[in-house]
Amino acid sequence: MAAPTKASVLLKAVRTITVRFCPFESNVRSTREFLAAVSSEKVRSTNMNCEVTSMVKHDRSEPIVDITYADGERLVMKGAQLTSREMLEAFQSRCIAKDPQGKAAAKK
Amino acid sequence: MAATLCSKFLQRQGWLPLIQSVRHGSKAVTRHRKTFHILRAKLMAVTKYVPPERVIPPGAYPSTTKRIQEDSALTLLLKRDLKKVFQDCKMVAVVQNSASSAEDMMLLKNKLFKHGIIVKFFPNQVMRSFLMDTAHSNMAPLFIGPTVLFVSKEPKVKEMLKALRSSPQMTLLGACIDDTLLSVDGIVSYSKLPSVAVVQGQLVSGLTMLTSLTASLLQRHPAHLSALLQQHVRQQSPDSGAAEEEAAS
Repeated sequence: MAAPTKASVLLKAVRTITVRFCPFESNVRSTREFLAAVSSEKVRSTNMNCEVTSMVKHDRSEPIVDITYADGERLVMKGAQLTSREMLEAFQSRCIAKDPQGKAAAKK
Repeated sequence: MAATLCSKFLQRQGWLPLIQSVRHGSKAVTRHRKTFHILRAKLMAVTKYVPPERVIPPGAYPSTTKRIQEDSALTLLLKRDLKKVFQDCKMVAVVQNSASSAEDMMLLKNKLFKHGIIVKFFPNQVMRSFLMDTAHSNMAPLFIGPTVLFVSKEPKVKEMLKALRSSPQMTLLGACIDDTLLSVDGIVSYSKLPSVAVVQGQLVSGLTMLTSLTASLLQRHPAHLSALLQQHVRQQSPDSGAAEEEAAS
């Protein structure tokens, strides 16, 4: 289910990841899976400075993933209609775009 | 079927026959797939099975007959366990652990066990099918992904929150305390509530405030009480006098 070779995603490019969701809603599955995937040991070990925070609310709000990159850019993903795979792929492509040298060196 | 030289046909020593058959036939049983003879190949191609064409794609319409799957023995055991858990324990909290190592889990389990909170793991499917039958069916949407149950007989919410604060990967989702489903905000406000004895004392003091005031008045010197009553009468009479004058005019 998880995208392959995700270990090299969080290299230096990401500063914070905030996941906000309301667990009693029904459209929360993909956001929770995204949170589980992003806070796994492998991914966290690539960048120890990156903070992964989760906020659990009860106000029927939409599930949102808020990612702040090191250069100040923000990526906001609204997980109500997305699958976790799509979110992970989008996140990975952006990270690779930000840090292509590191990724190429890691591949080689 | 190589030609074998046996002593019967060798008449003299050192004599080799003039004709030796070199050709040999091929084996029937081979390690690779032997190619068919051309006639057999043609026959196989002509008589190949052609399945009937499906007008409706296979996944388009759902099947009308639905088979109800019976619970396996393990599921029944787990459900019995769950029933016991819900009967015995006043507090059942649901936490999502996105990723915590075995050491972190062990430390957390230790910290919680000191306060009487037990950490339980149940498969989500079993949990959901069990909850649908009970009164706690609204808890069912909480059980998605990697979830852990914190279960305790006494609702020790403050200690649980303290322990969870130290491990960042565990996300508290909700809890069922005293048969009431609470969200995270509810849990936090529950932890801030004073104990039952304090609340009872406050209630009792609020109800008996008036009677206690009267009692304190009576305990003081009777002159004080008579002075208060005279003042009250004086206030009453100009009020009633003024009301009668207004009614007359």
